[in-house]
Amino acid sequence: MRLRDMIVMSLSNLWKRKIRTLLTVTGVVIGTCAIVVMISLGLGMQKTMQDSLAQMGDLTIISIYSYGNVTAEPLDDEMLETFRQLKYVQAVTPSYTPENWGSFTIKSGKYEFSGQITGVNFDALRLMGYEMEEGQMPDSTTGYTDMVVFGSRAGFDFYNPKKGWTNSDTPNVDVMNDKLELVINKTEETSKKAPTHKLTATGVMVEDWSRNPSPYGVFMDVNYLRSLEQEYKKLNGIKEDKEKVFSYNNVYVKVDDMKHVAEVEEQIKAHGFETSSMETIRKPLEDQARQQQMIFGGLGAISLLVAALGITNTMIMSIYERTREIGVMKVLGCVVGDIRAMFLMEAGGIGLLGGIIGVGVSYGISFLINSLGSGGGGDTGSIWGPGGMSIGGLSIIPWWLVLGALIFATLIGLISGFSPANRAVKISALTAIKQE
Amino acid sequence: MSLISVKDIRKVYRVDKEKVVALNRINLEIDAGEICCILGTSGSGKSTLLNIMAGLEKPSRGAVMIGKVDIVKLNEKQLAQFRQKNIGFIFQSYNLMPTMTAVENVAMPLMFKGVLKRIRVREAKRMLKAVGLGSRMLHKPTQMSGGQQQRVGIARAFVAHPKIVFADEPTGNLDSKTTREVMEMIVGIAREHKETLILVTHDRDIARYADRIVHLVDGNIVSDEPNQSIMASTEAAPPQPAASEIEQNVDMTADRLA
Ligand SMILES: Nc1ncnc2c1ncn2[C@@H]1O[C@H](COP(=O)(O)OP(=O)(O)O)[C@@H](O)[C@H]1O
Ligand SMILES: [Mg+2]
Repeated sequence: MRLRDMIVMSLSNLWKRKIRTLLTVTGVVIGTCAIVVMISLGLGMQKTMQDSLAQMGDLTIISIYSYGNVTAEPLDDEMLETFRQLKYVQAVTPSYTPENWGSFTIKSGKYEFSGQITGVNFDALRLMGYEMEEGQMPDSTTGYTDMVVFGSRAGFDFYNPKKGWTNSDTPNVDVMNDKLELVINKTEETSKKAPTHKLTATGVMVEDWSRNPSPYGVFMDVNYLRSLEQEYKKLNGIKEDKEKVFSYNNVYVKVDDMKHVAEVEEQIKAHGFETSSMETIRKPLEDQARQQQMIFGGLGAISLLVAALGITNTMIMSIYERTREIGVMKVLGCVVGDIRAMFLMEAGGIGLLGGIIGVGVSYGISFLINSLGSGGGGDTGSIWGPGGMSIGGLSIIPWWLVLGALIFATLIGLISGFSPANRAVKISALTAIKQE
Repeated sequence: MSLISVKDIRKVYRVDKEKVVALNRINLEIDAGEICCILGTSGSGKSTLLNIMAGLEKPSRGAVMIGKVDIVKLNEKQLAQFRQKNIGFIFQSYNLMPTMTAVENVAMPLMFKGVLKRIRVREAKRMLKAVGLGSRMLHKPTQMSGGQQQRVGIARAFVAHPKIVFADEPTGNLDSKTTREVMEMIVGIAREHKETLILVTHDRDIARYADRIVHLVDGNIVSDEPNQSIMASTEAAPPQPAASEIEQNVDMTADRLA
């Protein structure tokens, strides 16, 4: 028999029993819809989650804290070097603030800045993707001594101590062009003049509150800042505690890819440090999402299983009804392989048809979910929900899901039709034509 | 050499613990082009013999040579292919596909053989015209009388030009007038195509249409002789109704397929 004829025969057999075919197909449609919509929601959820996490901060940065942990090894330059050597680690920077608040003041004419000064590794910051509004980060060509980088609001943070705080629309100091001077403060009034260092601002950072360390205040090379601190201690006669080992409070590690964060974090924790990263937020969210997806997918699978039973039932009924026809076909010279093929095509056809309609309906449902989800704002194409989180793509149906659903539905049909088809093949031609 | 030779066929059915000997020890030679009637009362084993000769049933013992092939030794697939090529069937209860039109029913054996749709529809139509159903091509079985349905059955049996056509009580469900028409048609077409026809019946009147009558009693052949009525008087030969029309159409069909 020709393939074409077998297909035509199978389709016409389905067509002749329209109502039953329709009911059976409906089962597959529901099952397919359940699975496709659930997976699409899961994918949408995953995307929404990733988008919003990305807005919250860089997913590839691990923060390390050392305070209060007695079992921890010292978080010193040597340890930082160890981290730098770890696989997948791209950059490491401390975020160092001097022990004594108010050790330094930055002066520019009559204005003063006494906010936070943070010691960092500028090369690491550059690798971490900090962007500059103006100028650049200091590098090996500029040298690091005497160099500072300002946060975006630095110009406003200068004030005139004789007048106190004033709100103005323009920054008091143009940090890039005005003369800057660092004063090492004295704890007691003496006639000795406080020592100063001339400072050069190499740039101003773009404001980005999702970053760690956050770009506000003033940044210096960590080694330069620590040497200034030594000078302060010497000036004011502060004795170093010989017992105390130096340890940074806070260090940031940049990993090459999100998927390696957990592994690197694990290695850092092994040294006894507290760490945090977006991974610790992402992981439970992802687990939760996966769990929901599994439940939804399970429901879909159950409905497809019911659909499969429906197909088997329909095929068995159809074979009982057609026992005589099958017998006659055999007597007239239809080979058993062709009979099996035709029944499998019928069952597979039900599956495929159900899959096609199911995917179509799923697209409709997906469209409805998405337009209801983001339609609140009124604007078409608005992807910003009230919380500022992207909720575009609540339900995503990628091409592989469509293909997968069609193949799966057809496969369900074929599997359901397998045993009925074999039953049809085994029908004895003789007994079939004898029965009146 | 004869076309069909049945050698020492025995068929025993086991029902519970009882043995039913349907065929005892049958030996039979049938030549190509012969119209052979197997006559016997109900339960004498006629259908069993026919089914064994057609390869629908395996004998308990013996061989059935058709040409050079012992069909008893063929497997199911080989038998199906063998039937496609060599065998046509006419059933007592017509056995047409209820959801198919006359043309589709007649074309079915050709479809199983893998003949292109265009060609098989052409042949089926030709055959339907030959059995006088030219105006009923697209009718479904339920829209036709018993006689018309059996004529569709006849067209279906002959459409692929098989070497042998088996007919088991082909007129068992028909009235006497229709029986005559149908029998004349079957025998007429078989003679025109020079095809071998094995006819099973319990009715002596129907046996008259054959060249040869094999009488079966309780699974044994009790007599095997040429048809006396044909031998005795030429004028008693069955009349040929519509024969001219059938001849022409059938000849054309035969030429096309040859
Ligand atoms: N499938 C079967 N099982 C048991 N006995 C059978 C079977 N088929 C036929 N027989 C028996 O074989 C004998 C011959 O049957 P059959 O060939 O149908 O006779 P006929 O066609 O001449 O009426 C009968 O006695 C019948 O009961
Ligand atoms: Mg019988």
